[in-house]
Amino acid sequence: MSPIGDLHLDVWRHRLSGVAEEMGETLRRTGFSPNIKERLDYSCAVFDPEGEMVAQAAHIPAHLGAMPASVQTVLPLFDDWRDGDLVIVNDPFKGGNHLPDITMVSPVCTGPADRPDFFVASRAHHADVGGMSPGSMPLSTEIHQEGIIIPPVRLYRQGHLNRDLQALVLRNVRTPEERRGDINAQVAAHRVGTRRLVALCDRHGLEEVRRSAGLLMDRSEATVRAAIRSWPDGRWTFEDFLEWNGADNERGETELIKLRVALEVRDDNLHLDFSGTAPTFAGSLNAVIAITMSASYYAVLCLLEEGTAVNSGCFRPFRFTAPPGTVVNALSPSAVAGGNVETSQRIVDLVLGAFAQAMPDRLPAASQGTMNNLTVGGTLTDGTPWSYYETMAGGMGGGPDRPGLDAVHVHMTNTRNTPVEAIELTWPVQVETCAVRHGSGGAGRFAGGHGIVRAYRLLRECTATMLSERRAQPPWGLGGGHPGATGRNELQRADGQTVHLPGKFSVRCRPGDVLRIATPGGGGWGMEPSEPKS
Amino acid sequence: MGQDHHISPVTGPETDAPVLIGVDVGGTFTDFVFQTGTGLEVLKHPTSVPDPGVTVRAGVDAWMAQHPARRQAEQAPRIRHGTTIATNAVLQRKGARTALITTVGFRDLLVLGRQNRPSLYALSQSRPALLIPDELRFEVRERVTAAGEVQTPLDLEDVDRVIDRIKAMDIEAVCVVFLFSFLYPEHERTVGRRLAERLPDTPVSLSVDVLPEYREFERTITTATNAWLQPGVGRYLSRLARGLPHRSFDVMQSNGGTTGLRGASRLPVHLLVSGPAGGVVGALDTARIAMATATPHIMTLDMGGTSTDVALCQGGTPITTESDIGGLPIRVPLIDIHTVGAGGGSLARVDSAGTLRVGPGSAGAEPGPACYGRGGHQATVTDANLVLGRLLPDWPLGGADGVSLKPELAEKAVARLGAALGGRGTVETALAIVDIANAAMERALRVVSVETGHNPAEFTLLPFGGAGALHACDLAQGLDMRHILVPETPGVLSAQGLLLAETTRIASRSVLMTDQEARHAPAVVAQAVRELTGEARRLLEEDGQTDFAVAVSADVRYRGQSHELQVPCPTPVTPDTIEQTLENFHLAHEKRFGFTDRQNGVEIVNLRVMATCPPPPSPVQAPAAPAETSSPEPTGTTLAWFSPEAATSIPWYARTSLAPGHRVIGPALILQPDCTTLVGPEWQALVDSWLNLQMTPLSMP
Repeated sequence: MSPIGDLHLDVWRHRLSGVAEEMGETLRRTGFSPNIKERLDYSCAVFDPEGEMVAQAAHIPAHLGAMPASVQTVLPLFDDWRDGDLVIVNDPFKGGNHLPDITMVSPVCTGPADRPDFFVASRAHHADVGGMSPGSMPLSTEIHQEGIIIPPVRLYRQGHLNRDLQALVLRNVRTPEERRGDINAQVAAHRVGTRRLVALCDRHGLEEVRRSAGLLMDRSEATVRAAIRSWPDGRWTFEDFLEWNGADNERGETELIKLRVALEVRDDNLHLDFSGTAPTFAGSLNAVIAITMSASYYAVLCLLEEGTAVNSGCFRPFRFTAPPGTVVNALSPSAVAGGNVETSQRIVDLVLGAFAQAMPDRLPAASQGTMNNLTVGGTLTDGTPWSYYETMAGGMGGGPDRPGLDAVHVHMTNTRNTPVEAIELTWPVQVETCAVRHGSGGAGRFAGGHGIVRAYRLLRECTATMLSERRAQPPWGLGGGHPGATGRNELQRADGQTVHLPGKFSVRCRPGDVLRIATPGGGGWGMEPSEPKS
Repeated sequence: MGQDHHISPVTGPETDAPVLIGVDVGGTFTDFVFQTGTGLEVLKHPTSVPDPGVTVRAGVDAWMAQHPARRQAEQAPRIRHGTTIATNAVLQRKGARTALITTVGFRDLLVLGRQNRPSLYALSQSRPALLIPDELRFEVRERVTAAGEVQTPLDLEDVDRVIDRIKAMDIEAVCVVFLFSFLYPEHERTVGRRLAERLPDTPVSLSVDVLPEYREFERTITTATNAWLQPGVGRYLSRLARGLPHRSFDVMQSNGGTTGLRGASRLPVHLLVSGPAGGVVGALDTARIAMATATPHIMTLDMGGTSTDVALCQGGTPITTESDIGGLPIRVPLIDIHTVGAGGGSLARVDSAGTLRVGPGSAGAEPGPACYGRGGHQATVTDANLVLGRLLPDWPLGGADGVSLKPELAEKAVARLGAALGGRGTVETALAIVDIANAAMERALRVVSVETGHNPAEFTLLPFGGAGALHACDLAQGLDMRHILVPETPGVLSAQGLLLAETTRIASRSVLMTDQEARHAPAVVAQAVRELTGEARRLLEEDGQTDFAVAVSADVRYRGQSHELQVPCPTPVTPDTIEQTLENFHLAHEKRFGFTDRQNGVEIVNLRVMATCPPPPSPVQAPAAPAETSSPEPTGTTLAWFSPEAATSIPWYARTSLAPGHRVIGPALILQPDCTTLVGPEWQALVDSWLNLQMTPLSMP
């Protein structure tokens, strides 16, 4: 029998998840940028006054555990919350994860007093927050190059917009109108969340809502603990590598940066120890601890039964050891732009790789392990700046029961691509091909999925910046399966010369140049039937 | 099993006005509505598998056998058909062997899609099969730029080479999708002509005819789906029409209007929500009459076995161009119907933390709920309702195929679940199952409302289908809705809606102009509207329609946004009407999203012309004679549970025993062969002049 005796508890899952969903729907519907509307790069959540996450609507796994970290960082900084306050933050070292992700936190006061009974929070990826390159995903060496840093500050005080603060933020980004629209959309989402929570408390009483929220977290904790208990006890270590070729891409030498984890399963607890991971370095692949936690939570969630309500209860069985000043627990002023997109993918590979040793029959081979972040920007004839940001699909790893999918986003992201016709109508870029990269999936009993090839003809002078991984170290196979193909970045100059580019590059392009990106395939799973067993 | 239900008798004497027949084919039942000059007859037959056309012919034949005079040509019926043929083909991925011809470099678009994976947290996952496999996707050299200029002329040798290969491959349909064809259609048209010459018997779909709008993946999927459906739908419809005497034969489209046989066979992608669209049209008609307004605000609730369909109507049929049908992003305009994965067959279970969950799994139509006695053992929402006395064993739901329900099997299934939850009682477990199912639906209804910027409390709830009226009071209470309208025959509302649907044709095109460009060149807009109107007229005339009205709308957005709002565009186009269109957009944006951004530039993305023929008159009968007293005599009483402590003895009424003016105070049940209405403890139901039930909270002044 369950210690949670409330037969009607699942009613509350629907009610509280519904609040987060309505916030998310409002944000999507009112957002301006394709990042929010088309790529769905945002999350919304409901928190209790202690900063425990009660319910979340997340389209992006990268936001999973990072939202609680934001709220828990922000709450102690303010001791006089008032109804109508709204705090904005993107500082990765004070509750954010990388600068383009802007998080908002606001109190919900259901009674007459200005006492927060709940908090609601939202996070959205903004297409540009300034810094050294358009799109704010630069090959930086310290955070100050990456864009405007917003520490936790009040954008609204008792319902009044702080126009000075708004003006300061908007002056520091390349596309202020779009930013204003997206920030307003987040504010609109908070209004909807607040209204719904107040209505729920009016109808059912604050005590009942709080009690049910607590039970929902207890239930998710019980679900996660039951799963962990069913796994074998033990300790397994795994290593994987990030690639860095420096901001100077002409050199092209790739340095491997080691990530290491020791996974310990004891009864119904998990311990992830990242000791042995390389120290932070002068490059943009460092990750703050919130990202490391998110990626680890994601990996474990994939092993749970479907329908587990994601809330802070899920995270209680976890313990983390991550030495400060390492790539997985970066400190200010480390550069962190790529930590959220690339290092997070490697941390998933790392944690799943450790689990694969514990449960070889349940885990898939490595997927493409990168988001292939491309930013292209310049100025139009009339001097208006433009910038185009895209992440690209690749192969999914083969698994124990079926092959990996071709041409999809894997693990920490699931954003959609921009239609070719939308790209060409908006930017001085022509897409020459967009195709499956046949032969790139690793062979095996269940083959890895194939990556893709995208070729862009650049019609005006511009700068192309790429942040991609698995260009030197292929996605690994499992149980005798072959690795997937590494990705390839190339620039075909208008004069016919082809330049091979490394995983990270920032390059001036001339009209007529063609940038060709081939993304990695997934690793294969198990020995191919024809292969002799060794 | 399998007997037919005659739901209402023939009324009035025979006349010789042509009969109008609405036939709605559903998964389990095919519903028929016969409208003669004097009355409405309703019939239900189990749908035959695999060819639902057999049932349609049998039903019409049976009726005709009773009315032999109707066989003569001038007396032959006008038939209107709602069909699931296209939907089922998509869901089961059973379409024609189709080839795709596309711009060089882009034959993999169907594989790449929008690059998102179906499930966020599954480590291994699958995608539904592709409509067109690798070996049937061909490229030809041609390229048009974003400015609509030819960069690479169409390579005719390439085209012929591809057609040679297609000829050798035993292909049933072909589609052609080139980049930017909506700006420069000539390349697609040339290939279309070449295909017509060399493969005269193979249907061809050009993207410029199916969906001339930007976003190449969605356009490709929509065009490919159309081609892939064409042979099967064409065969089905022509066989059906040949076997039935008729004066006219129209098919319901997803946008709530009907089309002729030729239109339906040429553009079957417009038939994907044919059946549900009939329900929404029928619901709106019921509401217009019952609420005495041309523009009722209603939320429809069609609750079936595995899922529930919901549409939010603000006075008219809500239209969307963003839909996902069986995993395909179909972009033609269709009635905005949201499907919630909760229904009477949703399964209740205990999760790994030992708590109660309902859904998302479903017992479906087979084996169905435990109480159907067809081998289902897990408790479902229907079983819980039966345990609670909210369903009576001899008055089953429409989906139950005429069998009586077995309460002992429901009790057993729910009791077993109660035991697994730590010895909880059968009744309290059943109450919790219904509560959780309602919460899941309430959550979905709220999200649907928020999407369109509305508060559900401002709407009337209009339940139909088998189980909607059973859950309506609970849902309305949760959503603060204060009015529920249950139609006279909720089980056949979709078929009734078919009789009322307008005949419409839509022509659209991407124009992609800024507000400045539109202001400076109203003639360009006017020209596009003229051409689109001609196109819509041509489509209507093909089906023999000449009397129609035209409405023009534009898809507009703020610069930088990636989704558009559809707003009316007054005609004839002048600088003033362009200003009005832009103003319409600002107002619509304010209404939907709560703000406007007048400093920002505005873009007109698509223009759309809808040509509509006047609808047939409503089949709803003249007001019925009022009852002599306001309190009807109960047909019987039964025990029902609204709390775990004690059962309440509540009255039940046969729906046919109720007359206008009757007032039923809840809790009570109102029963008809294919639908049970629960008048909740805090609610009352008033029978109106048209025999609808109008339910309101008792506490309302």
